[in-house]
Amino acid sequence: MSVSPLTRDEHSAEFFDAAARGVLLLRWSTECGGYLPPAAVICPCAPLAPLEWREASGLGEVVTWTVIPVRGTDAVPPTVVAYVELAEGPWITVRVRGIDPAKLRAGHPVRIGFETPEGGGETIPIALPPHPG
Amino acid sequence: MSHELSGRTAIAGLGITEMGKVYGRTATDFAVRAVALAAEDAGIGLTELDGLLINPGVGGDIGLPLQAALGVGELRLLSTVQGFGSSACAMVQYASLAISAGLAETVACVYADAPLRQGAGSGAAYTGAARQASALDGLPRAAGLDSAAAKYALAARRHMERYGTTSEQLGAVAVAARQWAAFNERAQMRDRKLTLEDHQASRVVADPLRLFDCCLVSNGGIAVIVTSAERARSLARPPVYVLGWGQGHPGHPMARGSGFGLVTGAATSGPAALAMAGLSLSDIGVREIYDCFTFTTLVSLEDYGFCGKGEGGAFAASGALAPGGSHPTNTGGGQLSSYYMWGMTPLSEGVIQARGDGGPRQVAGADAILVSGNGGVLDHHATLILGPHPHP
Repeated sequence: MSVSPLTRDEHSAEFFDAAARGVLLLRWSTECGGYLPPAAVICPCAPLAPLEWREASGLGEVVTWTVIPVRGTDAVPPTVVAYVELAEGPWITVRVRGIDPAKLRAGHPVRIGFETPEGGGETIPIALPPHPG
Repeated sequence: MSHELSGRTAIAGLGITEMGKVYGRTATDFAVRAVALAAEDAGIGLTELDGLLINPGVGGDIGLPLQAALGVGELRLLSTVQGFGSSACAMVQYASLAISAGLAETVACVYADAPLRQGAGSGAAYTGAARQASALDGLPRAAGLDSAAAKYALAARRHMERYGTTSEQLGAVAVAARQWAAFNERAQMRDRKLTLEDHQASRVVADPLRLFDCCLVSNGGIAVIVTSAERARSLARPPVYVLGWGQGHPGHPMARGSGFGLVTGAATSGPAALAMAGLSLSDIGVREIYDCFTFTTLVSLEDYGFCGKGEGGAFAASGALAPGGSHPTNTGGGQLSSYYMWGMTPLSEGVIQARGDGGPRQVAGADAILVSGNGGVLDHHATLILGPHPHP
């Protein structure tokens, strides 16, 4: 799998700084107190109200997932990608590590961890088994 | 009771270029030829066009310069239309509105694409770097979600988890499409038989989707000529009346309560189109459903109401969609087995059926045909009801 193509920009700098510290940030509406996905630019409840970054619990559950084989080889494990519903409500798209894909189900609990691509680039969130170890 | 615009416009011409592994031509070449073929089919000259709507496709390879390439002057309507796979149906809707409002009289709507390169696999066709507004929009790609198949796999898996839909049931959609393709001389897979066992043995592209859950890739172009019903009656071919239309863009949030993978825009575009036509679901004799993946057919049929929510798998497995089935669907083989021309695939087959030009695959009594376009990842639906009579 190729390394992360991500390069930070002004909007995402705080998110990636926190990710590098192992903290997941979500957008948070100062108006309704609801949490929004990291890429959100407004809250529909109050489109003109500012959003802030807030720390998320890092806990969630799998909504759905896909297992993508690497073509031409069985030696490389498949890529497992999931939509995870965070405890705060927003969904994020994450690579799943350390969970047998055959055991995945809708509702499977996960804990958000982080990884930095080998070749460098921004640290990104991933889904891990709910209990460390 | 139908809407006052129901049956007021008609498709008078259909142009389908050579299709599939046709190399050495650009998307513009295909688009020009498609419009020329459609005009010839309608029995009009290109100078009689006063409107041109262009769907630029994924790569944006065709656009407003098409007017110059066609050499048509004095247009009164010219624009690109982008609703991804819903664009073809949407273009017919906008053309009909423009004609009904006097903005134009005779409008060509065209789509063309040429992603295939000689010597390269079809998997290489649509893998350009994703364009994104913010680095955060790149998170899904960084997580490994880098293809349409993977995104639709997430939708299909959610449906499976919720309703118990199976890979074999998705396979039934693929098999039915292939059975129809055997009767379509234009179908790329006309001579390739497909069984459920073949489907189950095909390689996994993005679980739960296998190779035979995925549509083809084609080079080619398709255009239709839309004009007033009155004018269409004076032209060369029997008019295919535009009886009803609707769009549905659910805008599912990426958050708790989202209907992603469970409900599509067809749930709203379908009832709107039927209401405009003054028809009910049981009046629909033929379904031409956008089928970029088998799952798209299955979930769209549910949302149109041809079966209950969550019952699309059993519905497909019953053989309902196949030749001889209770609900003939994708009668040309669809994008899965005939050709992939975005929303022009179902639209072109809808016109063929409405004209009674289906030959061995013609469905008897095709008086009301539902054509369904789908774009994004089940994000955009546009529906047309077509038929050979202005008031069915």
